[in-house]
Amino acid sequence: MANELAAFSKELAAVVERAAGSVVSVHARPRFSSSGAFWRPGILVTAEHTVRREDEITVTLPDGSNAAATLAGSDPGTDIAVLKVEAPGAPAVAATDDPAPGNLALALGRSEDSGINATLGIVSAVSGPWRTWRGGRLDRYIRLDLTLYPGSSGGLVLNAAGQALGIATSALSRIAGLAIPASTINRVVDEVLARGRVARGYLGVGLQPVELPDHQKGLIVLSLEPEGPAALAGVLIGDVLVALGGTAVSDTDDIQTVLETHGVGRAIEVQVIRGGASRSVAITIGERPRRS
Amino acid sequence: MRGFGEVAERLRRSTVQVHSRAGRGSGSGVVWSADGLVLTNAHVARGVDLEVEFWDGRQLPARVVMRDARRDLASLRVAAASLDAAAAGNSSSLRPGELVIAVGSPLGFAGAVSTGVIHSVGPIRGMGNRAWIRAQVRLAPGNSGGPLANAEGRVIGINTAIINGLGIAVPSNDAADFVRRGPRPSLGVTLRPVSAGVLILDVDPDGAAAMASLKAGDLLLLALDELYDALDSGQPALRLRFLRGAPSSGRLPVRETVVRLGERAAEAA
Repeated sequence: MANELAAFSKELAAVVERAAGSVVSVHARPRFSSSGAFWRPGILVTAEHTVRREDEITVTLPDGSNAAATLAGSDPGTDIAVLKVEAPGAPAVAATDDPAPGNLALALGRSEDSGINATLGIVSAVSGPWRTWRGGRLDRYIRLDLTLYPGSSGGLVLNAAGQALGIATSALSRIAGLAIPASTINRVVDEVLARGRVARGYLGVGLQPVELPDHQKGLIVLSLEPEGPAALAGVLIGDVLVALGGTAVSDTDDIQTVLETHGVGRAIEVQVIRGGASRSVAITIGERPRRS
Repeated sequence: MRGFGEVAERLRRSTVQVHSRAGRGSGSGVVWSADGLVLTNAHVARGVDLEVEFWDGRQLPARVVMRDARRDLASLRVAAASLDAAAAGNSSSLRPGELVIAVGSPLGFAGAVSTGVIHSVGPIRGMGNRAWIRAQVRLAPGNSGGPLANAEGRVIGINTAIINGLGIAVPSNDAADFVRRGPRPSLGVTLRPVSAGVLILDVDPDGAAAMASLKAGDLLLLALDELYDALDSGQPALRLRFLRGAPSSGRLPVRETVVRLGERAAEAA
């Protein structure tokens, strides 16, 4: 009773089977496990919000065995945690950075009891770079229309061709599951493996957007972190910040975007208006303190 | 293209509504053989006075033949011939990601269809070590007992429950085994898992536990999954340790009893 629907069904199951060898179950929180995926040989990625302890993390591998994993580092901003595992394991499928709304999406997870699991849905929206409420930047916003059941965060999201769009997370949006894009994972994994964390630029100022009498926009300095980068550079409360590194800034998102392209430790040219006069200050970018 | 519509239409003819004439809710069922055998959930076939309604509106009284409360299966017999029996698939070769289709009467809408994929296949904690099918299909009360089929329209499971939004189905191979060999051994009790073991809430007077003098309130000293494994192990008798009496009356002696389980028909060749 061969028919096209049965052929399509077989194709979906084959896509799941091909990628299943790189999807693991991650035990790093009480009660519920989550999922994770081999992103490089011996390197796993999972959703940071599902990693609730730093020690005694174990993973259930595709062959059903359990192995100890160590937390190499994590980036709460993009909801990515990077784990190292002393067991053979490598990505099974290629990644792609080219999803389109309407594409079929399969979310793969794993649980210790019943092995690999899959849910089917579609990519419902795609847009350019997107800042998460946790302060990180995703290279793309990939919204999924599929049900992320408990334990599926951190699992692989595939398109119908079997390419990895990224990993699933239910923690970055209240209205839908998202795929953390492959390019963002690559960037974060590189940085975490090199430095153990993702360093974010920091000026040590509290800012409020204001409009100046000449309709120019800027941000007024309302507070200064004592001994912070801006304070050390001589910025004063009441200064109005109008440009950062040569880019005009009118809200805090602009500041974050500029800081991302300038490394921690480097000096950046800041244009401020003080007492009606414009002046230039050089601030050495600090590193944002970790939230405890 | 032969799509879900065609598969659904064929499946509808093998799906029935099961009503309890006492008005105690209703569910769905699968026509298992053309000569009048209908499979459903044990929790759907609760009353004695059941009625089955076919896709063409025919209503026939049904008699419960067998029940397996642990697997939540029941078989019914209706006096009819030349029914559209469902084609059974092989549930041991299911793969996550395969398309599935469920037909039933969710909330009373007869013949309603939902589609999705196999989520996973495996045991569910606290429900024994037998595999259950988890499917990403929207089910509602009333789907219970109805068919879960693959893209070829072959029945691969009997929809039984909803857990965390996932449809839970008994694999069709277990349903076929139930039809062929009857219910698996059971104690004939209602149980509640507690931290120290399993508490007997109620005892069926004709069940194996009653014959072994177990009573409501006894605390069996093993985990539910261990008990289920032991029942499924094929042993003709089971030695159980238990406590009896109020915990406040000091240290209770551990008692022991041997429960004789009924012989089960041998596996047909």
